[in-house]
Amino acid sequence: MASRPVEIASAALCAYFLAFSASSAGAALRVVATFPDVADMTRQIGGDRVEVVPIAEGSRDPHKVPVKPSFVTKLNRADALVVNGLGLEHTFLPPLLEVASNPKILPTGAAYIDASLYVQVLEVPTSQNRSQGELHPLGNPHISLDPVRGKLMAKAIADGLARVDPAGASAYQSGLARFTALLDQKIAEWERLAAPLRGVKAVSYHQDLTYLAERYGLDMVGTIETKPGVPATPGHLEELVDTMKREQVKLVIREVAYEMPLAQTVAERTGAQVATISTLAGGLPGTETYVDSIEANLKALLGAVQASSG
Amino acid sequence: MVFRLVGVLLCAAPLILHPTAGLAATKDDELAAMKSELAATKHELAATRDALTNVERRLDELESSAAVPAQAQSGPRIPPVNIDNPAVSFVVSTLGKTDSGGGSGWDFALQSGELFISAPIDPFLRGYASIAGSTEEGFGIEEAALITTALPWNLTAKGGRFFADVGRLPHWHDEQLPFVYRPPSIDRFFGGESGAEGAEVAWLAPTEQFIRVTAGLYNAVGNERSEELREDGFDGYRSPDELTWLVHPSTYFDLTDALNLELGGTYLTVPQHSTRNLYGFDATLRHQPGTSSFYLGFVLGSEWYWNDEEFQDVEIGVDPVTGDALLGNERFRRNGGYAYLETFFGRRYSFGVEGDYAEDPSSAANRQRTHSAFASWFPSEFQRLRFQVDQIDPSGADDDQRFTVQWTAFLGSHAHGFATR
Repeated sequence: MASRPVEIASAALCAYFLAFSASSAGAALRVVATFPDVADMTRQIGGDRVEVVPIAEGSRDPHKVPVKPSFVTKLNRADALVVNGLGLEHTFLPPLLEVASNPKILPTGAAYIDASLYVQVLEVPTSQNRSQGELHPLGNPHISLDPVRGKLMAKAIADGLARVDPAGASAYQSGLARFTALLDQKIAEWERLAAPLRGVKAVSYHQDLTYLAERYGLDMVGTIETKPGVPATPGHLEELVDTMKREQVKLVIREVAYEMPLAQTVAERTGAQVATISTLAGGLPGTETYVDSIEANLKALLGAVQASSG
Repeated sequence: MVFRLVGVLLCAAPLILHPTAGLAATKDDELAAMKSELAATKHELAATRDALTNVERRLDELESSAAVPAQAQSGPRIPPVNIDNPAVSFVVSTLGKTDSGGGSGWDFALQSGELFISAPIDPFLRGYASIAGSTEEGFGIEEAALITTALPWNLTAKGGRFFADVGRLPHWHDEQLPFVYRPPSIDRFFGGESGAEGAEVAWLAPTEQFIRVTAGLYNAVGNERSEELREDGFDGYRSPDELTWLVHPSTYFDLTDALNLELGGTYLTVPQHSTRNLYGFDATLRHQPGTSSFYLGFVLGSEWYWNDEEFQDVEIGVDPVTGDALLGNERFRRNGGYAYLETFFGRRYSFGVEGDYAEDPSSAANRQRTHSAFASWFPSEFQRLRFQVDQIDPSGADDDQRFTVQWTAFLGSHAHGFATR
């Protein structure tokens, strides 16, 4: 017969786990999304059928997201996991999945939804050699900065949600259609607005604006980082400043996750303007949605270009 | 172009078809009509432009989709490497040191050269091995273990030779430490890393609050003890109460978005005659703000251990007649631990201080206090240069000042596991 303290302890444990454990019965599909962009897309597509739990904040450098144990419990209880893909999560997701005890959201699992699945990838390295910096072996992963590719990401998410929750397939398709229509309307507007950016020469902090530059016609001349993921050296900065002066580059694009002083110094030495953008939704104030984030980035670029020509 | 022409024609059409309209209407009416027509034409032109943009965009999308390999359409993209090969990395950590107690020269050494291999084995299991060598300890298999990936009830099992899940730093490899040398307190209680041969089961509580409990059973815990056991001709059979048992619960709190606290407890025992009981407590406070600022946060970490252990054939006194050492069984209750603070500046620099207090678990005397300061420079994520100054104060001996330069590089696949985050 169990003693009184053991009974009390058992009851307390039961109460604790009932209070804190798994989501309530009949609740929405619990979807963990690695970044705010794919989190917002999932919300727009899934509507009430999904409860979206993001991991990283938009102001973070996506390559330096801390591995917090509180993310483990989110992943442990997830019905599905939506990732940007192409290795953008490589620094934090593998260690989290290592202890999350949820096989269905492992990369080989059915509930692992890779938003990059249908996207044409640029800058796929021909060799994996670290003397070229920290290259992503599957190609440049910053695909969400191009809203046209954003539509393809949304499609991959909708298809993934339908795979995990077949009963909601038509709802996800409707959600996708609504989101795509919204993006179509905004893309037309953004392309009109972006006309002054065509042919503008620019440098960025990290090599993450390839897709954005392609969409709006920016001519990326260099990066403040020596190589992808390798911090700037004094020698590299001298070369960059020389190149910018020679090429008459008037725009320095600083991603909000990277330090301002260096971007400001380069801009001051070359007479360029600094535009602060975010590679993730939520990185700048008032940009919690994917659409708001793309729009804010565009306005920041236009503002800097206007200031440099004025 | 065709749409533009249509637009112009539409604009001109009223003038062509009604050349005498101006005669019949007043001048104001005519002006208003033209303005209205102009507005309508502008609207039509804008619509045409939108239609053109949509066609261009659709073309882009079709081109993008068409360019995607068939394989990518049907499942996760496969890395452009031979996926059957395991992830392989090699870590080189070399150091040069000089100290006041060892003469005026320098000593160069390979602190650690470690080949690390890991891969999934099947849908239920993954495996890894660490083959390491150093100037001091020679070359050998440091870890070779199997870990389940699909057990129910949030369980994970591990078996083989590995670093037992004791506290925080005892199961970190040398090159993963935030400073050059393993804290002397950890070194004394475990004889290096918490190397062990045995089995572990970890359970993750199915709650919002992170709670993880590891339970393990081993021949012995600690590199030195495990090595001694093997050298003593351990025949492989021991009763359960002769084995080492471990339980290690840990939990975590997000105090704010940027500040978090991790707490853990360790209980390790060899039950037979209460040969050994070790109690430990670890706490780690991290400040991890967004990465855009010059200041990138700090880590404040500490561990403390209390060891209650009976030793055989240790010196328990001196024979008053012969002056020889008297040997016997003796139980010692010893404690020790460390605390350190590491702050990160920019993306390339960190600076820290560490204090350590270590008692010898098998001796009545021999206490040591160590104070250290260390600075690290990261030319890239895969290379680190570290400078450390240590002030070592052992009881009953002269103080020692040591200066060390450590150079560490990571070749190949390099990823931090959850345990060494």
